[in-house]
Amino acid sequence: MYAKKMLKQSLPLLIFCGLGGIVAGSTLGVMTEIIQNIPGLIVVIPAIIALRGNISTAFGSRLGSAYHLGIIHSENMWNDELKQNIIGSLVLSFFISIIIGILAYVTTILLFDVHPDPFKLISIVLLAGVISAIILTMMTIVIIYIVFKRGYDPDNITGPALATFGDIVTMFSIFGSAILVEVII
Amino acid sequence: MIYNWKKIVRFGLPLLTLCIFIEIFAGQMLHLGQKTLIVFPIFLISIPVMNGVGGNIGSILGARLASGLHVGYINLDIKDKEMRENLIIAILMGIITYSILAILIYYIASFGGVQMDIGLIEFISVIIGAGVLLVCVISLVSVFTAFWSFKKGLDPDDIVAPVVTTIGDTLGIMLLFFFIGAVGI
Repeated sequence: MYAKKMLKQSLPLLIFCGLGGIVAGSTLGVMTEIIQNIPGLIVVIPAIIALRGNISTAFGSRLGSAYHLGIIHSENMWNDELKQNIIGSLVLSFFISIIIGILAYVTTILLFDVHPDPFKLISIVLLAGVISAIILTMMTIVIIYIVFKRGYDPDNITGPALATFGDIVTMFSIFGSAILVEVII
Repeated sequence: MIYNWKKIVRFGLPLLTLCIFIEIFAGQMLHLGQKTLIVFPIFLISIPVMNGVGGNIGSILGARLASGLHVGYINLDIKDKEMRENLIIAILMGIITYSILAILIYYIASFGGVQMDIGLIEFISVIIGAGVLLVCVISLVSVFTAFWSFKKGLDPDDIVAPVVTTIGDTLGIMLLFFFIGAVGI
């Protein structure tokens, strides 16, 4: 009975997240041309997705705890505690994005003797990292607000919701940034 | 005030930087297999699905083990019945989820006009083979990490998810290429 219950609760969510993965993957699928044109671009993809996943789930679970602790309520969500969390997530995204760009550049030269354009690569990662951070932070706040209003436990909802939308938003951000940088530079 | 953005950045930076180092390694594997991925974009579509599902199952299992350890209905024993039951269900969920998603990816991709020089059976074999092996390894890593961190007096809730998703991304890509080679594509 126990196994049945776990399957019933988790399986639909897993498949739903998998469908989100297909949308994210399809974005990657239409990017083949730009991947070939910008050396090093494919290298940063797992790292940006992981960065987004880690920062936004941590942000979501901190807001969940803050709710349980009574620090934020649906009536006065926009307080200083929330602002500190937002600034923290954005600053982290900024720094880690730059590290990703530099690491991808250096390892591509060392491992494959391929020389990507460092300025282009770092700009794409930074732009994608910051854009996806802003979109997902706003999305998290909206999700948490709705969850609060309905009186659900945010811990059960934010994780899977962010995992599903996070990958999609991140892939769109990378794609958009790559095109933008390619056009400008 | 409980949250401070400097503290969030200071605590987040070391662990995230470590994750990023490993993720760049995963990215370099994509770079290595870039030609195959460009010729068979269907595998490019599969990557976020592969990694997402593996990471989610590992995280769900980790969260369940963490709750069990905290409350006390799971003991720090490799023979613990409750833990083994959870482990088996996690692997079972992996087999079901990857099977369903493999078929979905194949038909969505062919419906969307993605170039396909691969049969349904071949494609499903690669995804299920890599996926099931990934879930087995990830589930064992999840149990080990949860037990280890709990024994050390750390909160498994903070540790298991980043460890499992990072290892899952790297291993998922490795296994995918391994099975693509094994099927002889």
